[in-house]
Amino acid sequence: MSLLDILFLGALAVALAMALLGGTRPAGVIATLSYAALLAVLALMEPLLAQSNAAIASSVKFQIIGEEIGWSMNGLGWFFALITVAAALFASWFSSGQWGAVQYDMRRQHVLLAVNVFAMLVLLSSQDLLGLFIGWELVSWASFAMMTQRGGAAARAAYRYILYALAGAMAVLAAIVIIRAHAASFNFADARMAVAALPSATKWTVVALLTAGFGVKMGLLPFHLWQAPAYSETPGASSAFLNAISARMGLYALIVTLLQVIGTDVLTNLSVQFIWLDARDIIMWLAAVTMVVATFIALMQTDARLLLTWHGIGQGGYMLLGVLIASPLGTAGGLMHVMNYGIYQAALILSVASVMHRTGTSDLDRLGGLITRMPLSYVTMLMGIIGLAGLPPMNGFVSKWMIYKSLLEGREPLLLALAFVTTLGTILSVYKLIHNIFLGQLRQEHWEIREAPLSMTVPMLLLGAICFVTGAMPGLTLQLVDRAQAAIGVPLLAHHLGGVTLATGSLNMLWVVGTMLAMMGMGAVIFYLLGGRHRAVHQYDNYAGGHFLSADLRYHFSHEFYPGLARVIGPWYRGWIVRAEASLIRLSDIIGHAWRGSFDAGITPLYVMAALVAGLLWVRSAGGLP
Amino acid sequence: MSENAGSRNPLQLRDQPETCRTADAEERSAWQRVIGRFADNCRARSLFVLHYCTGCGAIELPPTITSRFDMERVGVSPMVTPRQADILLITGYVALKTLKRVILSYEQMQAPKYVIGFGSCTINGGMYWNSYATIKQLDQYIPTDLFIAGCMPRPEAVQEVFLELMRMIDAGKANAWRDYYRNYDHYLANQQALFGPQWHTPTDIVAEAKHYGLMGPGTTGPHTRLLDQHAEWALDRIPEDYPERGENERSER
Repeated sequence: MSLLDILFLGALAVALAMALLGGTRPAGVIATLSYAALLAVLALMEPLLAQSNAAIASSVKFQIIGEEIGWSMNGLGWFFALITVAAALFASWFSSGQWGAVQYDMRRQHVLLAVNVFAMLVLLSSQDLLGLFIGWELVSWASFAMMTQRGGAAARAAYRYILYALAGAMAVLAAIVIIRAHAASFNFADARMAVAALPSATKWTVVALLTAGFGVKMGLLPFHLWQAPAYSETPGASSAFLNAISARMGLYALIVTLLQVIGTDVLTNLSVQFIWLDARDIIMWLAAVTMVVATFIALMQTDARLLLTWHGIGQGGYMLLGVLIASPLGTAGGLMHVMNYGIYQAALILSVASVMHRTGTSDLDRLGGLITRMPLSYVTMLMGIIGLAGLPPMNGFVSKWMIYKSLLEGREPLLLALAFVTTLGTILSVYKLIHNIFLGQLRQEHWEIREAPLSMTVPMLLLGAICFVTGAMPGLTLQLVDRAQAAIGVPLLAHHLGGVTLATGSLNMLWVVGTMLAMMGMGAVIFYLLGGRHRAVHQYDNYAGGHFLSADLRYHFSHEFYPGLARVIGPWYRGWIVRAEASLIRLSDIIGHAWRGSFDAGITPLYVMAALVAGLLWVRSAGGLP
Repeated sequence: MSENAGSRNPLQLRDQPETCRTADAEERSAWQRVIGRFADNCRARSLFVLHYCTGCGAIELPPTITSRFDMERVGVSPMVTPRQADILLITGYVALKTLKRVILSYEQMQAPKYVIGFGSCTINGGMYWNSYATIKQLDQYIPTDLFIAGCMPRPEAVQEVFLELMRMIDAGKANAWRDYYRNYDHYLANQQALFGPQWHTPTDIVAEAKHYGLMGPGTTGPHTRLLDQHAEWALDRIPEDYPERGENERSER
């Protein structure tokens, strides 16, 4: 019985325990402790994965068409599993107290969380294409169940997701069938050799099918429409889990298939005539466009949860971009961003969830001034948005810096420009987020709001603290990233506690953060020790052109926050892609009607004959007939 | 033209002790006097003006500020908010409704703060001397450092009054703002005579007077006692039997 078996059994045991005890009061604590135990198992696995090709095998196996299918976890899967279990830990910690007590059905949420963790662990331990597919389906259905639990808008969005996901899974299955037909094995290593020998048209097909199939989960353009509504309508703690890690399963599968099975050398050799782009460039451009479009859609949202989930889609683009650069720096940056993003996004979603818990709304037009009532949630959100915007001293800065740097060194100035544009959009939108919720005028209906209870604020603040510590000491995260990088087969990035030392410009966050803190300390000395005299004034003792302010007068401008920007991006924000999706549906309707109509018209034999001739020609061309 | 504090206001109606207009020497140690002297010197060279453009006088300000006369070269520049401003410049007649806003803006400014009344209207009502809707003497309601006579004063006069104010600040003589704290009850009485006993602003002048150490015998009185009815803001009270939130999560369904 290996450690991986213990991990699987542990995850299953949590699901079982939650099915039995999920409705009781200590369920949240039990779940939190169980995830902590799973984290401990993962920590025990770490030394075993120190060598580059090391993997921990599970004893679960089965035979199919003469092949043995099993599961084993390598460094890459381990890295993602770490984030998964940690996200589940914080989500269940958050729901262990008052938040869980007021939920409609906390038992179901606990069970679904545990089932999701199990499904993800299975996916992350896949060692062959069939295992990958099985894990993929498990994850799809588990997250579908999680999203649909609340009913209403979430269920509709989740339904759209499952349609996309099933289509994606079929695409993946088709790609696997093609590879298997040539490799005669599901094994990654055999598949790699077989893919390298494929004709380029087939290679293109495989790459397109895999990118589309796994891209659905990542929300890669143009499959991004489902994710934000589905994730944002899921209840707070589950939403934090989904946002932090669920969409990253698509990235994991893309890394495994594009980098390990197909390989970047194959991708870069697949060039398109006349436009100087190869397959890797096209996927990178797709990631970059996803990044820009999703971020600017996030900017226009008026709901805090939607704003954050749209950012999740955009940040996924950064990760894919970094990973596909495939240099040591880029891969490390992309993988590190997975972890950093998971930390700050969970903190942000939990902060919004606690605001929702107290106020009952996450509508950015109906909040404001909560900093005086919920200071701890404010601090969490502040730390989270600094991370999301990619500014020092938070961890998001380090990974984004590494991605920028790798784009620069990979001679991709246009993609770098898009990354910068995205960062601009991110900074603008996170300012909107924190301003509309916590700054400005406190509304009369929120005068009696209190801070969220400790069971909610402690995990939130802890996430914020991790965000800061891993920002000041990125070496801690890079150490974990090493395991994943070794498993992909990319050379390791030399690093130290404070960052990386490169010939073309280094980053030492200890110095950056130290300098920042020293300057802030000097500012604090000037303002508090030398000046010292300050006086808090009432919020209605505010200047509005001499106007007298009162509770019935709104002076907190949160509606239509960026009107100038909205005028610029409005035309394409208004949903060309939504219209495209609708017209695709209409087109398929029309084709379907036409098809049925032609059946009715009685020309079926013609189609049968055409299909027969086409089939014969295909078999003939494949060399099956003399 | 401008009038300085020495040959002060010929229109002064109130019997005002001169000590209110100068720094109180007894209160300051030698070291504090050095610091204060230095601070006054610096302060006089960086003045931000909140233009309260009530009447036609506002038209004289663009040439004063811009390249023709260019007050910015001596460190006087416009500011849009009262908290960051040093000078409140009232350019013309002050209607009763406007006066409420002027008082609010003045009280929101941080001390030390200076008021300049611009044009005849602020001195004696000017051409509105018999209007029922305008006040006649601005310094009955807020303490004024300097007036500019004329209907209307030219930019040279505005420039001159700014320079005079700078000289006064430098010499530590522009202390009208202390008078507002020391004799708040007097000013409030005049304000209440116009606006009624319900008149109040969101600022707490008595607390500020304590904060600046400027409590005087005239700070509180029968008129400030009327403010007590507005002192306690409902907003700052959280009842003890506050109900737990979170039910909305359940009722949402």
